[in-house]
Amino acid sequence: MLRTLRAFAWMRWRVLMNSIERTGTRDTLERLSLAVEQIGPLIALGLLLPSAAILAALGGYAGYVLPGAERPLAFNALRILLGVATAFCIVGPILLPTMERTSAVRLLLLPIPPRVLYVAQASGALSDPWLLLALPPLLGIPIGLALHGAFAGAVVGILAGLLLASTLVGLSALAAFVLHLVVRDRRRGELVTLLVVIVLPMIGLLPSLLATSKTRAERRTERVARAERLARGQETPLERAARLGARAYMLLPSELAASATRSAANGSAAAAVVPLTGLTVTALAFHGLAFAVFGRLLAAPGSVSRRQTAADTSSRRTWIPGLSRAEAAVAYAQVRLALRTPRGRSILLSPLIVFAMFTALAVQQRHGDLDRLSLNGGLMLAAFGAAICLLSILPFALNQFAVDRAGLTLTLLSPISDRDLLIGKAVGNGLIAALPALACCVLAFAIFHDGPLALWLNLVPAFIATYTAAAPAAAALSATFPRSVNLNSIGRGSNAHGLATFAGMLAMLVAGIPAAALTFAFTRIVRAPILALVFVCGWCLLTLVGSRMLFGAVARIFERRRENLAMIK
Amino acid sequence: MELAVETHGLTRTFGSLRAVDGIDLAVPAGSFFGFLGPNGAGKSTTIKCLTGLLRPSSGSMRILGLDPLADPVAVKRRIGVVPEDLALFDRLTALETLTFVADVHGVEESVARERALDLLDLMDLKAAGTTLVTDFSHGMRKKLSLAAALLPAPRLLFLDEPFEGIDAVASRQIKDLLHSFVERGGTIFLTSHILEIVERLSTQIGVIANGRLVAQGPIEELRTGAAGVSSLEELFIKLVGGDTRAPVALDWI
Repeated sequence: MLRTLRAFAWMRWRVLMNSIERTGTRDTLERLSLAVEQIGPLIALGLLLPSAAILAALGGYAGYVLPGAERPLAFNALRILLGVATAFCIVGPILLPTMERTSAVRLLLLPIPPRVLYVAQASGALSDPWLLLALPPLLGIPIGLALHGAFAGAVVGILAGLLLASTLVGLSALAAFVLHLVVRDRRRGELVTLLVVIVLPMIGLLPSLLATSKTRAERRTERVARAERLARGQETPLERAARLGARAYMLLPSELAASATRSAANGSAAAAVVPLTGLTVTALAFHGLAFAVFGRLLAAPGSVSRRQTAADTSSRRTWIPGLSRAEAAVAYAQVRLALRTPRGRSILLSPLIVFAMFTALAVQQRHGDLDRLSLNGGLMLAAFGAAICLLSILPFALNQFAVDRAGLTLTLLSPISDRDLLIGKAVGNGLIAALPALACCVLAFAIFHDGPLALWLNLVPAFIATYTAAAPAAAALSATFPRSVNLNSIGRGSNAHGLATFAGMLAMLVAGIPAAALTFAFTRIVRAPILALVFVCGWCLLTLVGSRMLFGAVARIFERRRENLAMIK
Repeated sequence: MELAVETHGLTRTFGSLRAVDGIDLAVPAGSFFGFLGPNGAGKSTTIKCLTGLLRPSSGSMRILGLDPLADPVAVKRRIGVVPEDLALFDRLTALETLTFVADVHGVEESVARERALDLLDLMDLKAAGTTLVTDFSHGMRKKLSLAAALLPAPRLLFLDEPFEGIDAVASRQIKDLLHSFVERGGTIFLTSHILEIVERLSTQIGVIANGRLVAQGPIEELRTGAAGVSSLEELFIKLVGGDTRAPVALDWI
């Protein structure tokens, strides 16, 4: 068994090193591109070691001062950290690719009994960053306790630490195996990914949306009133839920370990028995469940996905006004890619969800003060929605060639000029951004219909001008910094290259300045919204003509990067 | 003799590696040309240079009388390619893939649809016409890639390992199709590791080893020119130096 575990550890180490030392670049630009890509993981790796050392020292200090302490601040801080690590054991496998760790087909070919395979697979969780950061304090606390002379506490601390580490490994393995079981059906996996892509930003936005703008005095009055109410035994349903939640929190594995260690450190080792037993049962339950799920994975390791079909659109004419048939074909292929991948769908849907959340809040406060959101009325909300749509398209627009993967080779083999290809791609990306933007504007107008009509109409040329002005830069960046992506994944796996994203976002913001400035000047200074519409339309025409010319120059960049792009898989 | 593919000193280097080392190809128009070589000999790199996916480091080439470096679009209008990685959009259906190819080649819409249905029928992919390519097996992808190459009715086909992963029935039909393509004046430039197929189909062959063209011409001519050779396999092994390698005995097997 040890030999198997050692082989797995070595294999994981080599995979990591090989991914960092990746070679085979064709030129300096590609070497730079790859180096920039690796900076993030290398910085994370570099930060991990000192962080682990600091946390170990903090653990030692927390253990040393724990006996007899009334408010052990360092210990409580570590409790929170361990609670966060527990949460990451569940969320982590969704955010980080775990497919390699759970590639059951490959494992089945190995002459290893299932139990050993399970241990080898589950122990892979020990290399997850959240576990690497959780282990040092678990080691430091008993050392601190022993240095203080609380030997019984130190022994219980070691036991609790070992049980917690085992529980977290089991939880992590369970989450990874369940996820693998879910995504084994490709379509179900895509749905889960899409949900995560949409739900995560919503969770991130909620606190800022729900935050109250009450003064300190108002908050104090509210706190006092609440305390009085609770003293009378009057609890609101929300307060009851919070109380039950706090009680449930105490049953978290990290809290059980902390409770056992603290009891033993304060001289009542007997009181540590219950939390230690709870921790043991939890660890066994997680590993038992994880092993059962792993067994199911091994029993049917193949994909169970049904074939995905689409309506037969081949008889429809490939036509977009102002474009040749070849350009339109490229544009349609790009739109279809967006409609049929989780990342593409998230580009279409997430701006709508963000917009819907802000709209709901705006409707709620329709007659109140919206200054906190800086979105005065429907017009601003529509402009905000359109801007979000323009930023959402960036992962696609800034990696517009590499997202096609092998499909790009088909395009490169086709009798289409580089300039036509670039224009087709730009129009396709523009359509992907325009669909949700149009929905945002129409909805905002239907709900609020405030402000001059000219300004509502002004949104259309402003949107087109901003996108058109940025499109050549997006194409050039996509050709210069292509990144092999998986549009079924979320986060980093489907993002454009870091440099392209930074420069592209900057380009998009700069491209939006003229339309915004013209609108502001003619609305707030000249006070003639109709003139804003006229001048922004003029700017829009200028960007359309200018970008057509610029695509000629970008085509030369594309030609120079053609070979590198053709190699993207 | 009219040449469909003509190269002079075609070279492609990757750093210090000369993947294709000054080859002079002459593929007659209307021939079925088998391009053979061991793994890593430079076959796919040559095809990539000829089809415009890679720019040669030096040398010149003419495809159907045109210079692909000077006028790549005109050349691509006349050729069909089944590349090594099959080159298909994962998220298009089979029919949409063929429609895309027809659109970029400017094939008239009604003609394109008729051809697409004929090809899907021939490749036994009609039932999978509205299925996304991502759900296709390797063999199905290969057949679709071949259909995409054939749809614009090219005059020259580059096929990189077209029979790998294809079932016997489809393979037979494809062979018949390729034969009739050549009979009607088309030219096929094919690479394959299955020497029996090359021997049965090809009228001409070229053999590449370590980036250098070691032989080219009609099969019979090359066979009779080499002493003690009765099959293409023997000829191939002799040309690439396989007969000089000492046999490896793995006694522990």
